[in-house]
Amino acid sequence: MSINPDLAVKTGPLNLKNPVLLASGTCGYGIELQGFVDLEKLGGIVVKGLSLEPRSGNPPPRLMETPCGLLNSIGLENVGVDRFISDKLPALSALDTAVIVNILGDSVRDYQELAGILDQVRGIDAIEVNISCPNVRAGGAAFGSDPDMASEVTAAVRKATSLPLIVKLSPNVTDITLIARAVEHAGADAISLINTLLGMSIDIKARRPVLANTFGGLSGPAIKPVALRMVWQAVRAVNIPVIGIGGIQNASDALEFLLAGAAAVQVGTATLVDPLVSVQILEGIRMYMKETGISDISGLPI
Amino acid sequence: MKYLDVRGLVVAHGQVGPGTHILGIRAPEIRKGAKPGQFCMIDLKPPGAIDPLLRRPLSIHRVGPKGLLIFMYKVVGRGTALLSQLSPGGSLRILGPLGNGFRIDQSRPGLLIGGGIGTAPLVFLSEAWPKDVEQVAIIGGRTRADIEYAARCLEDTPSRVHLATDDGSLGHKGPVTDLMSRAMEMFEGRSPVVYSCGPGPMLKAVARMAADFNLECQVSLEARMACGMGLCLGCAVPGSRGDDSADSGYLHVCREGPVFRADQVSWEDYPCP
Repeated sequence: MSINPDLAVKTGPLNLKNPVLLASGTCGYGIELQGFVDLEKLGGIVVKGLSLEPRSGNPPPRLMETPCGLLNSIGLENVGVDRFISDKLPALSALDTAVIVNILGDSVRDYQELAGILDQVRGIDAIEVNISCPNVRAGGAAFGSDPDMASEVTAAVRKATSLPLIVKLSPNVTDITLIARAVEHAGADAISLINTLLGMSIDIKARRPVLANTFGGLSGPAIKPVALRMVWQAVRAVNIPVIGIGGIQNASDALEFLLAGAAAVQVGTATLVDPLVSVQILEGIRMYMKETGISDISGLPI
Repeated sequence: MKYLDVRGLVVAHGQVGPGTHILGIRAPEIRKGAKPGQFCMIDLKPPGAIDPLLRRPLSIHRVGPKGLLIFMYKVVGRGTALLSQLSPGGSLRILGPLGNGFRIDQSRPGLLIGGGIGTAPLVFLSEAWPKDVEQVAIIGGRTRADIEYAARCLEDTPSRVHLATDDGSLGHKGPVTDLMSRAMEMFEGRSPVVYSCGPGPMLKAVARMAADFNLECQVSLEARMACGMGLCLGCAVPGSRGDDSADSGYLHVCREGPVFRADQVSWEDYPCP
């Protein structure tokens, strides 16, 4: 018997036509891939993290390849929310796919203000609150590693917008379930994890750290087992949808996260290497569901 | 988007100098749109493998008939060492053509200045050069073996070629900038446009001298790169203050480059390892 599986994600306020999203920081503002990748096939696009004012990011070198991984310290370079809305959003929101805007700030007030601005703009389907970037002193991991601060940011953003709210968590914590529960109680509609793992690399010839910023965030297949474990834990700790991120290179990686209970997945570093991979991942998930006789995506979790 | 991601057949691969190789890939779809100064991202892994994770950016060294793209690269790390072991007959995923390329000014003579492996894209530039426009090339390297092959490629073009090595084993003993000031006399008062590619310290010196002579100077830069498509913003180089194209203070080699006007770059902050 041949089935046509339903891949639509219908969990709470998060409505996606399928569970494959492009992760923030690895797909620009989405429009960079327009005409090359059939973006309308995807469940959604999470754009590069935006701040109130433009940011120049960290000095180079910003990248280092490591075994099965990539260390980066981009430092949240972005055009700022105003230019995103005027220059990038019109083309992006014209696409038939969910537009999820990742936001970051130095203070609770920054996050709240950003959410308030985006709440007034048409063409945005959800906000992803980045409390987990390891590459800047403020505006990132500081909020993501403390349950009270994570909760405070989430509550402030919740007040400022009625858009679906995803909070992106850092893996650089002792107990992911504490933070997951804290943001759930503060009003998050969903959580996404993991952001990058804090790491570094040293140039033994130059006798100094490779990255100008010393530390960077590790992504890529090297981090997948850690990400999967944390997603598994988070799924069992909260009652809101969890979006799995971390080292997904192919459909079988994505399926591991979906079987662990993730409602959707984000493809990040893999897009940098193979920009078409997200569409192939989606097809692979569909194929798996057909082969195993699972007719609805909600039937995947084990 | 004018670039494509295809699987190309490796039709030639060989060593042309110490640690220096040329790689010929048949990729007609990419060859068709390729301009001098553009680059491709080449996946070194066999299908299904995940390491080394990233593709490598290689500038287009020459093009040939039947969709041939030729790259010249130096073995500098794990990725290029792996690449150097690939035999003809195999295939590689190749994404391109990427970046802006050189902007040839047909109204003025060209002064092409290459250093070491940085000569690679200048050979394509020289071969694609308009017939009725004068061109002079200066090639420099540490020693004879570094530049012998590139110099031979250029001698087959209409360019007048001048050579320099640090150790004097081929051509002038000294930096390319020595020859640059001499070459200025050959243009008899007409201002050439400088097109340059090479190591950071050389580009810095060339840019300074071009500014002294009040010449337009285009430099092709390189940086560690992950995507080549402007997605990750990893390949940042410091932009000069007041330059609009560096909207964040940084230029991105893959997105706004790899070819920049020398005055777009903040040379005092430019990393020269």
